[in-house]
Parts: sequence; C-alpha cells; structure tokens
Amino acid sequence: MYKTTTNSFGQTVIIRTNTDGSTTSFFEEQDNTDYQEYLEWLSEGNTPEEAE
Amino acid sequence: MASIKLKGDTSGEVTISAPAVAGTTTLELPATSSTLATQNALGVRNLIINGDMRIAQRGTSSSSYSSGDTYLTLDRWRSNISTAGTWTMSQDTDVPIGEGFATSMKWDCTTANSSLSANSYLYATQYLEGQNLQQLKKGTANAESLTLSFWVKSNKTGTYIAYLFDVDTPSYRYISKSYTINTADTWEKKTITYAGDTIGALDNDNARSLDLLFWLVAGTDFTSGTLQTSWGTTVNANRAVGQVNLADSTSNYINITGVQLEVGEGASDFEFLPYDVQLARCQRYCVAYGGVGTYEPFGIGVETSGTNASIQLGLPVTMRGSISLTASNVGDIRVSDGSAFAAATAINIDQRGFQQVMFNATVASGLAATKACRLIANNSLAPRIIFTSEL
Repeated sequence: MYKTTTNSFGQTVIIRTNTDGSTTSFFEEQDNTDYQEYLEWLSEGNTPEEAE
Repeated sequence: MASIKLKGDTSGEVTISAPAVAGTTTLELPATSSTLATQNALGVRNLIINGDMRIAQRGTSSSSYSSGDTYLTLDRWRSNISTAGTWTMSQDTDVPIGEGFATSMKWDCTTANSSLSANSYLYATQYLEGQNLQQLKKGTANAESLTLSFWVKSNKTGTYIAYLFDVDTPSYRYISKSYTINTADTWEKKTITYAGDTIGALDNDNARSLDLLFWLVAGTDFTSGTLQTSWGTTVNANRAVGQVNLADSTSNYINITGVQLEVGEGASDFEFLPYDVQLARCQRYCVAYGGVGTYEPFGIGVETSGTNASIQLGLPVTMRGSISLTASNVGDIRVSDGSAFAAATAINIDQRGFQQVMFNATVASGLAATKACRLIANNSLAPRIIFTSEL
C-alpha cells in the first residue's frame, strides 16, 4: 500500500496506492494528514516497500 | 448632521447618526425580537466554506461508500463511516425553491443496515482552521455563542444531531444539539445556537481546531447516554443521543444545503459568495486539474533523463500547508517535447511551496535530458492531478 522513495533532492517521498488505483505522494511533514495516516499505519506494525 | 445618543444603564453608549447627504435612508429592524448579527456583519461571517455545496472539484458523485474517513465529492465536506450501510454521496440539484441555492449535498442509502453495531456511525463534517476562529474568544470569559443554520430534506423524519467538536484542547470538548425533521420529503430550515465555551482556547494556527458535524447514523456507543447540550469533555455515549438510523432502508436519503455557522445568537440570511471567491476558498485545501479538456495542459518542465520529466506548476491560491499530490489515470497523460511523445507511468511530488509545486512524470523511455517539455492529457478526460492540503 505504501512505498518510500527519494526525490531529486534526496528527501524521502512516501507514495500510497489508493483503492481506485490512483497514487498519492507526500513528504514527511507533520501537518500533512496523509503523513499522519501513514504514521498510524506504521504504528500498526506495517512496513512500506521501497520504490523501484 | 443630526444624531441620537443612547446611554446604557450602567456604562457604554450608542450613537445613531444621519448621513450627511440629501434624501431619506431607511434602516429597517426585524418585526420580531431577535439579535442582529453584528460580528463580521460587513465581512465574511460564515465560518463554513462551501456551505451552499457549489464546489465539487473531486467530482459530483461518489458511490459504494461504506468505509473510510475521506473527502468524497464536495469540497471541504469530509465523510466518515463505519458499519452503517452503503451510500452514494453527491452534489445534487434538489434545493429549497426560491432561496437562491443551486446545489445541495445528498446522501442516498444503497445498502441498508437496519441492525446497527454499537460503534456504527456515519457523519458529514467540516474541519475549521484555528486561525480563522480567534474571534470566537473560546476559552475566555467573553466566549461567543455560535449559531448554525441550514436547509435539510429527508424522507425520514425524526431527531438528528449536529454538534461542534473542539479538537485542540487535550481533553477534546464538544457540544451536541438536536433538530427535528418534521415532514418527509420537504425542505425545512433549521437554526441551532450553541453557547460560547469559556474553557479551551483554540490554537491560532493553520491546523484543524473545530469541527462541525452532522450525524446521519449512530450506534449505541454514541447514543446510550444523555445528549450533551453544554460544552464538556468527550463522553462517547452522549454524543448523538436520539439520532435516527438513516441507514435502515434503501429508500432513505437526506439533502443538506445553505450551511452557515456564525458568531452570535441569531441566524442571518445565508451569505452567498461569488463563485470565484468560494472556489478560491476551497482551493486553499484542494486544487484539482484534469477533466476539463481532452488535451488539457498540466504544466511545463524539463526532461531530466530518458525516463523522467520534472514539471513545475503554479497554484491558483496559497495553500494551507503541506501538500499531497494524487494522480489518477496517468497512462492517459503524456510528456511531449516536440519529438518525443511518451505516456506517463507515474507522477509523484518532488518539491512544494505554498504557491508552486514541482513533480516528476516518469515514462518508460524516449526522453532526453535538458529538453524542455510539457505535460498534457492524451486525448482523454480521465486523468486527474489533485493537490491537497486538507485539515
């Protein structure tokens, strides 16, 4: 469901594949609700894949 | 210039002055006793954005909704559901006649749940930014009352709950009020006043501070107590006492429009904003591209390798904060540089400000580093690129 990669500046970008096939990408920023959901997902013991 | 001065019994005074121009100017007071809305009377007084349900950048209808906490169609209106049937949520054209509205939010039950679980729920909510709420003076002795007004229509009569939820204070405080849909299939206007809360200041920042929430379905976890009609800490059982189960039949629906939340104890007429103003207010939280033209442009940039293009795009308004990029049907988007013509395989964010974003469009092959390029739809209305900075 989640993958992590790095952008062209070496920063981590998280990519979520949504149920409708779309993707949502975002940074590790506390005020981002997608990142907050990602943190919850991690806290449940999940691990993201690394992007190719 | 003539004037009348009214002195208060103990302190303060009000001066009423005639304008220094010829002719007669009339200030008409209400026929019945009421409180005039004076707070922000000449400015934006509705704390709710898109209360007339005009803006739906993500789409106008979303079906098969049975789980999740998300934005479905109408801008700013978030939905949350758990074991409460299946629904279609849409921007509808059924509106109260002669009131100036063109659209409403509709919930249509497509799979019923007549035997709710204890923790079943369905609600529509709007999150409000703390820095836009400082005039409420919440957490002080001068805390202002709030008045909610809206139009509602449903086949299912009975008691419904609308509540305010302060998510800033550590203990989470809320106040619930009920309203009644009296007549089936008939538009009714409802007005609810919530007292000011002298406890718990709202943070003066760009984060979520206060929620307005319309309950549509509530299990016994939220209904088994006594409705909490005064501000207090969260007791789940007191949240939605009396709420009807709108999910108990596939015949059920509800339409809501004209939602206004304003300071004071009286409801003023709905504040209609120009379309462009309402859209810009929504775009602080969501900006959607795509679905307009079959060769719609998404931005210009530079090819950085044989398989990647870096695209830069200016946003129409300053967004709230951190930005996410959601891309769909990217195979129908192409990178074009005059010679190469490559379909995208992925689109992901690369950098962001509040007004500019950069993102990468990945293709299988065919690009050349340093060449200028553009990103456009490939004869399709399907692709969407949506930037969000939601609360």
